[in-house]
Amino acid sequence: MRPSPRHGFAALAAVGVLAAAAAPAVAQDIAIRNVTVITITGAVIENGTVVVRDGRITAVGNDVEIPDGVRVIDGTDKYLMPGLIDAHSHAAIDQGINEGSESVTPEVRIQVRNDDPTIYRALAGGVTSAHLLHGSANTIGGQSAIIKMRWGRTMEEMYFEGAPRIVKFALGENVTRASTSLPDSLRRFPKSRMGVEYTLRSWFTRAQEYRSGWEAYREDGGVEPRRDLRLEALVDIMAGDILVHAHSYRGDEILMLMRVAEEFGFRINTFQHVLEGYKVAEELAQHGAHASTFADNWAYKVEAFDAIPYNMAIMASRGVIVSVNSDSGERIRRLYQEAAIGMKYGGMSENEALRMITLNPAIQIGVEDQVGSIEVGKDGDLALFNHHPFDPAARVEMTIVDGIVYFDRAEADTMEKLLRVRITTDDDR
Amino acid sequence: MRGSMSGLAATVLACVPAFAAFAFVPALSAQSFVGTEGTFFIHSGTVVVGNGQRIPGANVLVQDGRIAGVGTSVSAPAGSTMIDASGQFVYAGMIDSYTPIGLNEIGGINTMNMRSELGEYNPHMRAIVAINTGSEMLGIARSNGITSAITAPSGGVISGQAALINMDGWTWEDMSVKSNAGYVVNYPAVSAGGRGGGGSGGEQRARERVEELKGELANARDYHLAREGGQEDVDLVYESMRPLMRGEVPAIINADTQEEIEGALALADEFGLRIVIHGGREAWKVREQLADADVPVVLSSLMVVPGSGLPYDAVYAQPGILVRAGVKIAFSTGSQSAARRLPFHAALATAYGLDPEDAWRALTVWPAEIWGVDDVIGTVEVGKMANLFVADGDPLDIRTNVTEVFIKGRHVPMDDRATRLYEKYDARPIGNR
Repeated sequence: MRPSPRHGFAALAAVGVLAAAAAPAVAQDIAIRNVTVITITGAVIENGTVVVRDGRITAVGNDVEIPDGVRVIDGTDKYLMPGLIDAHSHAAIDQGINEGSESVTPEVRIQVRNDDPTIYRALAGGVTSAHLLHGSANTIGGQSAIIKMRWGRTMEEMYFEGAPRIVKFALGENVTRASTSLPDSLRRFPKSRMGVEYTLRSWFTRAQEYRSGWEAYREDGGVEPRRDLRLEALVDIMAGDILVHAHSYRGDEILMLMRVAEEFGFRINTFQHVLEGYKVAEELAQHGAHASTFADNWAYKVEAFDAIPYNMAIMASRGVIVSVNSDSGERIRRLYQEAAIGMKYGGMSENEALRMITLNPAIQIGVEDQVGSIEVGKDGDLALFNHHPFDPAARVEMTIVDGIVYFDRAEADTMEKLLRVRITTDDDR
Repeated sequence: MRGSMSGLAATVLACVPAFAAFAFVPALSAQSFVGTEGTFFIHSGTVVVGNGQRIPGANVLVQDGRIAGVGTSVSAPAGSTMIDASGQFVYAGMIDSYTPIGLNEIGGINTMNMRSELGEYNPHMRAIVAINTGSEMLGIARSNGITSAITAPSGGVISGQAALINMDGWTWEDMSVKSNAGYVVNYPAVSAGGRGGGGSGGEQRARERVEELKGELANARDYHLAREGGQEDVDLVYESMRPLMRGEVPAIINADTQEEIEGALALADEFGLRIVIHGGREAWKVREQLADADVPVVLSSLMVVPGSGLPYDAVYAQPGILVRAGVKIAFSTGSQSAARRLPFHAALATAYGLDPEDAWRALTVWPAEIWGVDDVIGTVEVGKMANLFVADGDPLDIRTNVTEVFIKGRHVPMDDRATRLYEKYDARPIGNR
């Protein structure tokens, strides 16, 4: 963004609006040099250089020639890592997060808005991509949006090109309490974990019948079956054309969903939250499911009472691809702190911990060929830190998406600048 | 990493089938053990005293619950338990200056939340008598170097008396550092963006509620003066406020907006109260007044988003701004389950301008001063209660591991709900499906 001139409160209050109108239009060619490069997929490069041209990384290494006409950023004493990726966010969602009227709604899709200040604050925390999910009110919720943090661009331009379709499933307390305020006779089914399993099996059974009807029509002709967008989405899920991300807490429900999916011939791509994933880590690995979790949140409800911060390390040690997510407009600003917790409990290596906010979430949302590491050919999505991202005084100095600088602390409105302006104003009186 | 298994922990794990079947009933889950008594000689570490001084290669002697010696020439009495701190650091235990720990366990379960009493004015409600010594939260907090916390009641305008407690002990009396550390007062929200104080009815009603609060304080003052003058009739509510009226115990005023904080300062002036601001989201706007009035600010969680219209770093940068203006601060988490994150709040502040030495003070000696117990806890100095921990690095660094914890001179086991579950499931044999 190019923030407004810093004239104190009025200008700051309008920051979103102004920035939305004044985004940089085209990718710049940028080189960051003399910087420690955390590549994620390779070794850490000291005194390295990264060049981004036309939005893509074109060179990474110690011995890199910087082409003429490229904007050069000095990274002395700083750390450059891939832009952070949040595999679970509800920021920047328009028109509602939950279609809660029924418990199965895979036909609906998340709408993106481009003026949520969370996007800007996430950039200020180094985040460049996010997976925006439907809420957890439904056994089978709606389809996600995957965005890049292109603050100031149009709504269409926020979408991550080439990202897969993903649907949200949900288990446990949130699904079953969806209508608790109503009398029993008016409550929405299901209201128990048993009912959640039945809901899944009954809808996928219907979807199988629907699929058979279409297969028969395509082979044998006859009357064309009536199109049903809900069942069509369920068929796409069974075909693996829509990836499943499932909100989950307890080991029993995680195991249940894997078994139901296996019965209907599909795979759960990623369990979200998955706070008791450590109890069924081997089963997760066998099924091929990934896990996107909180670092150390626990005890905020009964199904979160067995949540332990060792969850990440145990699952990773059993071969599960683990990410740590925000699910919050607050945590999305400091995902690097959350990842560091992986090193504290259970002995994850530094690179494993960093993977939880870069390559691993990229894999989970199906964009690992474009983002998640610093490699030639990948998108120029980068976060420049003042110190190592796990250092206590770590702060993001600059965040780059597609080679465009969307956040630059030197240009940003900060408290320091605000107070300086206020003092000047007082002196003027 | 944490999580080495003690023999004691192994015994507990042998009982887990019963525990698993009743997953969330705390009474059945294995309780953490109260620390062992003894004479402990923590040797060869770098002692971070907490007053800016660091003593490399130093020893700390813990005896009869107190710190009996600190320095390079202190030696071990016969029979001491030796704790090797070489390559490590010895710190004073951290203090979380606002939590519901011991009063609330699992969010969302009403019967596990005992923070609030009925009614608007409850200065006579005492948190200390309701501390659940079996709370799983205590073990989680102390394993991370948080050895004491303010536990505060909530609700109404005056919620009750907050207690300063240790994270270990056999009873609440044993755990108490200061049974009445302050009266929780929720300054009635007078404009949008302010905090609770309960109640609806908009700005007009909020102003009435401020007047009602002043009326209650005036009644308490009149009662106090009457009692001083020899009145024998006792009113338990107003009697409970006499330490406040004498200026012995502060009011902890929950105030976030400039208007609320200024209102709180005016109350302090009018009634001669000692006050501590808790919350303080807009304290930076009134930092000169706070510094002039010598009123400290206990900052609520830094893990929140800034108010609309403010710079993105407003919450992170405020601690440094306040300290540079001469305001004494302390950090708090406001949480029973996330109290272990306390030093990470301070870390965020150091990334945005707070001096790391001041960050450490705001976790230890400053809260000790704010709560009037700096002669008891807050630094590693002879004579103080032995609330200490040993760690392999800077506690503000998430990667640092706490290796030993002492509370009230007891060596506390590094065993908590998380380590117990970790040991159980990390030991699950592969292929045992």
